[in-house]
Amino acid sequence: MPSPAARWKDARAASWDRLPSAARPLAWLILSLVVLFIPFFDDVWMRMFFLVALYVTLGIGLNVVVGLAGLLDLGFVAFFALGAYLVAIFDSPVSPAVNGTVNYWVLLPAAVGVGALFGVLLGLPVLPLRGDYLAIVTLGFGEIVRILLLNMDNITRGSSGLYELEKPAVAGYRVDAVSEFYVMIVIAAFVAWFATARLRDSRVGRAWEAIREDEDVAAAMGINTVKYKLMAFATGASIGALGGAINAPFIDFVAPQSFTLQVSINVLALVIIGGMGSTQGVIAGALILVGVPEVLQFEETANLLEKLGWLRDGMNTAIDGLNGLSPMNLAKLPPADEWGEKLALYRFIVFGALLVAIMIVRPTGLFPSRRREMEFAQTSDAELPAGGTV
Amino acid sequence: MALLSLRGLVAGYGGITAIKGIDIDVDEGEIVTLIGSNGAGKSTTLRAISGLVRPRSGTVAFDGAAIDRLPVHEIVKAGISQVPEGRGIFHRLTVYENLQLGAFQRSDAGVASDYERVFALFPRLRERARQTAGTLSGGEQQMLSMGRALMARPRLLLLDEPSMGLSPILVDAIFATIRQIREQGATILLVEQNALMALEVADRAYVIESGLITLKGAGAELAKDDSVRRAYLGEA
Repeated sequence: MPSPAARWKDARAASWDRLPSAARPLAWLILSLVVLFIPFFDDVWMRMFFLVALYVTLGIGLNVVVGLAGLLDLGFVAFFALGAYLVAIFDSPVSPAVNGTVNYWVLLPAAVGVGALFGVLLGLPVLPLRGDYLAIVTLGFGEIVRILLLNMDNITRGSSGLYELEKPAVAGYRVDAVSEFYVMIVIAAFVAWFATARLRDSRVGRAWEAIREDEDVAAAMGINTVKYKLMAFATGASIGALGGAINAPFIDFVAPQSFTLQVSINVLALVIIGGMGSTQGVIAGALILVGVPEVLQFEETANLLEKLGWLRDGMNTAIDGLNGLSPMNLAKLPPADEWGEKLALYRFIVFGALLVAIMIVRPTGLFPSRRREMEFAQTSDAELPAGGTV
Repeated sequence: MALLSLRGLVAGYGGITAIKGIDIDVDEGEIVTLIGSNGAGKSTTLRAISGLVRPRSGTVAFDGAAIDRLPVHEIVKAGISQVPEGRGIFHRLTVYENLQLGAFQRSDAGVASDYERVFALFPRLRERARQTAGTLSGGEQQMLSMGRALMARPRLLLLDEPSMGLSPILVDAIFATIRQIREQGATILLVEQNALMALEVADRAYVIESGLITLKGAGAELAKDDSVRRAYLGEA
């Protein structure tokens, strides 16, 4: 019979290292996604899946900052831009500042490192700020970075952007097809998820959660709040930069207009919609917020909608009737084969309505962090100190 | 030499000076209480010791070394642990996680047995170890807050109004625990509005009024003092 102390130690080790078992289902899911989607979908769909996986990666990064450490960051796009530009500046033949190209596989880790560094640089001035004040300052930071990129034309070529990037090569083979980039971003998403899950279940994660709950009390527990807040910013930022560095050679056009506040808001929205602090939530959020608007502009969607021509005819008859009764003169619905196009135009209205609906029905998000529940389920009696004689 | 000594401590918030130059000593193994009415500066004194409020002037020395310019987490590391006013538990974390956080800056092997020690003092916490702390009753939250502070194995424990908002039975239980903790060799600086209970348990006491120490002496002595009885013990 081990002593209570030894059992405690075992229990703690078990609870902080239980990741592999928790990782398995998700790993299988992601692997099966990769395997399933590559052969069966054309590039239009693969592009959508790439975008979803990209936003999953970004969401995982932002989740550390917002979900775990409770720091509301509205300037996340800055790190995404940073990673993209780092690769583009060194790998684009039109780059005015750099001649020749640097191997992509050198730039990728460099982007992660520079992202972390800039995360700390953003973190330092905002250390005393909380909540809405922090949100405003980070929002400003994101805009400053975008405007800097726009105006530093001797390095970034301003709004003309950087293009024709050197494609990443693996053992002489150049990554070019959409599906290959998709595999890259899925691997990145997996790495990001694994790293943040490890951190979350370590004492670093505990410190982040304590800071999120109450920063003063966290400090009173002996937590160096400065250090852990900067760590959260750095972790999130490096994942953002990783996403940017993979996205750059894929879209092959890096320009400031791709890095607007809209990106930060999208990432934050998918984290919140999905349920803060949960990875399944980030995946669900990205599918809804990024996937659905894309699908709405697909030809397949338009074809599907065309089959609803009878509905259009019926509604137009009704509109005719209404117009006869009142001076409103309502516009008739367009021909069914234009619906897809219209839907694509109005997709943000559709999805805005979806967001409102989700937040009303499930204010905690689709998949609220299951960490707590898991902990309840997994803290077996053996993990608790011996009961009885007290 | 005293374990903790405050000299001419001045601290406050913004334009308000809550404490205006106070001297307090706490010796190793003592329970010292600081009593006074609402707004007298009791909590500010504790916050100035633990670093949550920066003293404007004066010194805080702990074990002979000045700590008044150290960051909060360094002060915890030096051996001072605080049970904050209003308990300050992490509501969305479990009881167990709250205790884990209490031992955050420790890496020694004794942490494991300290869970046992805390659970022995507060058996309720063992029963509720897996619950989120927000689901505990007020008394249980107070126990958790004290247990969490003990997880740091502090040389000095700062207790800020542990009886606040608790029923008389629970107040008795909390004070019984304070005695128990002292018997285990802890040094305690206790801030209380419940002067009667505080003076009963304390070796020595200070009375603070409008940011100044107006009286000090042995706990039992002050309990007999007429002005104290009138002002704080509800006697005419």
